[in-house]
Amino acid sequence: MSVDAVYFDGETARDNAVTLKRAGSTLEFLGERTPLTTWTIAGLHPIDPPSPGQPFRITHDNKPGARLIIKDQAFIDDLVQQNSHLKGGYSWRHLGHVLGWTAAGLAGLGLLGYVSMTILPHHIAKVLPSDMKNTWGTQVVNSIVGTAKRCETTNSKAAVSAMVAALAEGGTELPPVSVEVYDMDLVNAFAVPGGRVILTRGLINEASTPAEVTGVLAHELGHVYHLHAEAQLVRVSGLQILASLVSGGTSTDMVTTAAGLAAILRYTRDAEREADEFARSVMETASVDPMGLKSFFEKLMKLEGGTPKDQNNSPSALDRIGNVFSTHPGTEDRIKEIKPLAAGKTAVKIMTDEQWQALRKACN
Amino acid sequence: MLDTTTSQSEKLNFTYVKRPGLLKLTIVNFLLGIITLGFYRFWAKTNVRKHIWSSVHINDEPLEYTGTGMELFKGFLMVFCLFILPYVIAITVATFIQGPESIIAVFLQFIFIFAIYVLWGFAVYKARKFQLSRTHWRGIRGTLVGSAMTYSLLYFGSLLAKSMSVGWATPVMNTVLAEQITNDMRFGDAAFKFKGRAGPLYPTYALCWFLTLAAIVAVIVIAVSSAGVSAYLSSVFEPAGGTESIEEMAGYIGLAILVLFVLSMLIIPMLWAIYTAKEMRTFATYTRFDGVPFTLDATAGSIIRLTVINLLLIIFTLGIAWPFVQQRVVKFIVDRLKLEGLIDIDRIQQSSAKMDSRGEGLADAFDVGGL
Repeated sequence: MSVDAVYFDGETARDNAVTLKRAGSTLEFLGERTPLTTWTIAGLHPIDPPSPGQPFRITHDNKPGARLIIKDQAFIDDLVQQNSHLKGGYSWRHLGHVLGWTAAGLAGLGLLGYVSMTILPHHIAKVLPSDMKNTWGTQVVNSIVGTAKRCETTNSKAAVSAMVAALAEGGTELPPVSVEVYDMDLVNAFAVPGGRVILTRGLINEASTPAEVTGVLAHELGHVYHLHAEAQLVRVSGLQILASLVSGGTSTDMVTTAAGLAAILRYTRDAEREADEFARSVMETASVDPMGLKSFFEKLMKLEGGTPKDQNNSPSALDRIGNVFSTHPGTEDRIKEIKPLAAGKTAVKIMTDEQWQALRKACN
Repeated sequence: MLDTTTSQSEKLNFTYVKRPGLLKLTIVNFLLGIITLGFYRFWAKTNVRKHIWSSVHINDEPLEYTGTGMELFKGFLMVFCLFILPYVIAITVATFIQGPESIIAVFLQFIFIFAIYVLWGFAVYKARKFQLSRTHWRGIRGTLVGSAMTYSLLYFGSLLAKSMSVGWATPVMNTVLAEQITNDMRFGDAAFKFKGRAGPLYPTYALCWFLTLAAIVAVIVIAVSSAGVSAYLSSVFEPAGGTESIEEMAGYIGLAILVLFVLSMLIIPMLWAIYTAKEMRTFATYTRFDGVPFTLDATAGSIIRLTVINLLLIIFTLGIAWPFVQQRVVKFIVDRLKLEGLIDIDRIQQSSAKMDSRGEGLADAFDVGGL
């Protein structure tokens, strides 16, 4: 069966009348100005899906610029019926492509997000200039303590120094740190950017021995050593800036907002574990009794669910942060990890009784 | 059908032949858009263009859109990596180091906005070039042969001139811009030419300009006087000073001013349809293809009807019906466009211009108008 068709060669706009016929798995066409041309059916592409009553327009892999226009409906139907690749329209392959690219795009974004949330902040924290850390530290401390006064007497100062000195015993290189006690009911301790550790009066009163407070201090020193506070601040402010860019708003200073503060001070489980490890190793080296940390831990476990509410009625984000040992699942595992000093080692006496009493009364 | 050895000139007729399937396309695009979180937009755009292009018939032979979604996607990726991502990173770093009131960040934002203005013309030109080079008719494609940078600078200059002249440079600048881009336009080896003065546009421009001024003045006068009258009335009827009813009154006045404002926002663009129609008609007659001039039968009324219905379509379908909006725009032009002479079609040779491999990333990012 041969039919009339029109051929555009893709080189001029001239239309060429041709006679077209099927020859096995090929199409053959020939015209006055068109030499005999053979197109394999497998290499044909529909320009548009065939639609009844409309001319069918096809091209071929060998000559992508050329167009063959067939008007004979019977010929079109016959051709399309036997060769489903000429049906055009949506195909699973097309859908697969699009979904594949979408998945790749999202995976790329996810990877970017993961790297900038996990690995990057730590590295940025390491190279942050120290005056920037100090500025942040001051802002965070101000937000935490609010109007609470700092408790410091000559003897309490000596007690704090004694704790740090005890932990440094045995040659562990401790990060430079400033330990500050504030008059707050809250039972908690915080590591703050710029190498500062905040202890509350509530925490010191809750402790029954110097070893308990020293254990907590060792844990917070772990956070300082690993720059957890700085990394977390980098993470949160990065997110915040991005969010403000996307929403088009201006970024507020998140240290001054309760939610921002809570986000900054809530460490990940890995960070808590790293701080625990640091504390255990320091205490072992310095022969500070780890059972102090353990017993304090257990004491807080009992308080859990009823983390002491701020009794000043001041609605505070700090309550929601969780305490030193945090409310993460796995707290019991973390307690179990704490082992007594190795046999043969005796626990050192951390401070004198006078110093201990002075520390407990520092806020009076 | 023409098959004589001696080529002969013929008249070109533009018709829009609606094809079924746009609704299905719209729905599938919308669903896939949701599934792919918007990534599908490049393929959606492509499918819609294929559909609309193939509905435009010139002498019974349809146009053909040969672009692909991947080309548009690559264009987007390029702009995202070279333009948007560096900006976001720079702003983030600046804000991070200097805090929320970072001067560098403000400066960067300024640079970014400035860059958008400077590159807007570039985006317009590149998008037009991409679309022309993907538009085939009788196997021959179009293109733009000039420099996108030149057009971009001209475009930026026109923005400055328009704003500094309180709009009065608009007819001149639009004529210059149309001349620049139209003279670069080719279909195969056949050229488009644009030649004409801006002068004939000025009476219509002046009319629209002063009507707009009058509308603004009227709104202000009505707002102020109604406030004055109601203040007087309330002082007469409420000598005791019932604050509640005065507040209520103030509320009504505020509402009245708001209504007036909204009305003026509707009326002023409608006024400008008079100028837009005049400009479209004039520019069509200034444009020649292979030496033959066009005419475009656009009127203010038809432009207003087109725009209002398009806006309603967008609003009531939350934007999902955008393919129909584009179809209406193309149909509007095609139905009214005529080429007033004969063209020797067979003589036209294929364009030898190189094709860009990526499509209109900037135009996509800026959401430059058009298709």
